[in-house]
Amino acid sequence: MKLIGKMTILLCGILLIVFANKFPEFGDPHSPASTHLSPYYIEHTMADTAVPNMVTSVLADYRGYDTMFETTVILTAGLACFFLLRLPEEEEKEIYFRHVPTGVTIRIEECGAAPEDSDVFQRIDAQWVPRDIIIRSTSRLLMPFIQIFALYVVAHGHHSPGGGFQGGVILGAAVILFAISHNLRTTVAKISETSAAIMSAAGVFIYAGTGALCVMLGENFLNYGALAPLLGTDRVMARSHGILIVEIGVALAVMSVMIWIYYNLSSAGKQDEGL
Amino acid sequence: MNLISVLLIAIGLFFFLGGSIGIIRLPDFYSRLHAAGMLDTMGLFLSMAGLALYVLTDFTFANVLVAIKIMLIVVFVFITSPTATHAIVDAGVRGFREPWTKDKKGGSSI
Repeated sequence: MKLIGKMTILLCGILLIVFANKFPEFGDPHSPASTHLSPYYIEHTMADTAVPNMVTSVLADYRGYDTMFETTVILTAGLACFFLLRLPEEEEKEIYFRHVPTGVTIRIEECGAAPEDSDVFQRIDAQWVPRDIIIRSTSRLLMPFIQIFALYVVAHGHHSPGGGFQGGVILGAAVILFAISHNLRTTVAKISETSAAIMSAAGVFIYAGTGALCVMLGENFLNYGALAPLLGTDRVMARSHGILIVEIGVALAVMSVMIWIYYNLSSAGKQDEGL
Repeated sequence: MNLISVLLIAIGLFFFLGGSIGIIRLPDFYSRLHAAGMLDTMGLFLSMAGLALYVLTDFTFANVLVAIKIMLIVVFVFITSPTATHAIVDAGVRGFREPWTKDKKGGSSI
């Protein structure tokens, strides 16, 4: 069995090396890719979709199927992390608190009343990590700017490098920064795992739903020109707006999958204390 | 105007060079962080100021916006760089890194 595997790999390697020579030169103007496909995109992008950034229009309009399944792949990655790592939640029998002024650790049994998590009584897990006010307030100060920048990247994808994937990653990074500078419990209390999961599915649903809406209006799947009567614009601008709608879906999916994966990876699936 | 911006960028790069040499040559954790944190912030400020001045040689509204964006980078690095240095030093103190002294020659290899 091992021999068959080695033989297959060897054969594939030899074939790759033999046929690598027959590929067109890098950047060859006479290769099939740059004689048929690229000139069409370069010449027709502006007339078809009114999007100056050619990459965005190819990504979200001409090759919309590809990007839709890429978004699905990201959702699948989040689901895979969830199914592999997540442990069932246990009943908490004992909770540990630290009284910060004296440095005493308090153990609270099931029946006892737990104090509120505050600057005086701090919830602890495997070890106590002091809360640093400098790091906390700096990240609190920066988070809105990061999120605004992310929204700018999403919305400005038509004109400059950017778009749903990049903006979604920046949005997710803002939440992860909050989780690192505070702790995982606080973050999960703000954005629960359930809502992250629902949002990631909703992102893919926005994308696929836009396509399905086009079918309902009597045109091909993901042909945004069909949305023109709904948006109240002509077909070209409808394609431009359709790209934006799809990018928003991508950003939502990417953001929540980032958060979801971080929750599961940083706490080894227990979702209690985090890093 | 161009001469000033070239001069500013050159001084900024000089600070970056000093920071890089400091990271490699200084004896312990804390002094290396000092070099990295301080000199990189200063070098970034000077080189970005040089770039902003270079953009402003052609004084239009769009270029003013570009210059403001460049200076915003400096503002954010001024906020975040000391915080990052603070966090790393804090971790070092909690990890019991010995500081280097002249007679004790403490200083761990990391």
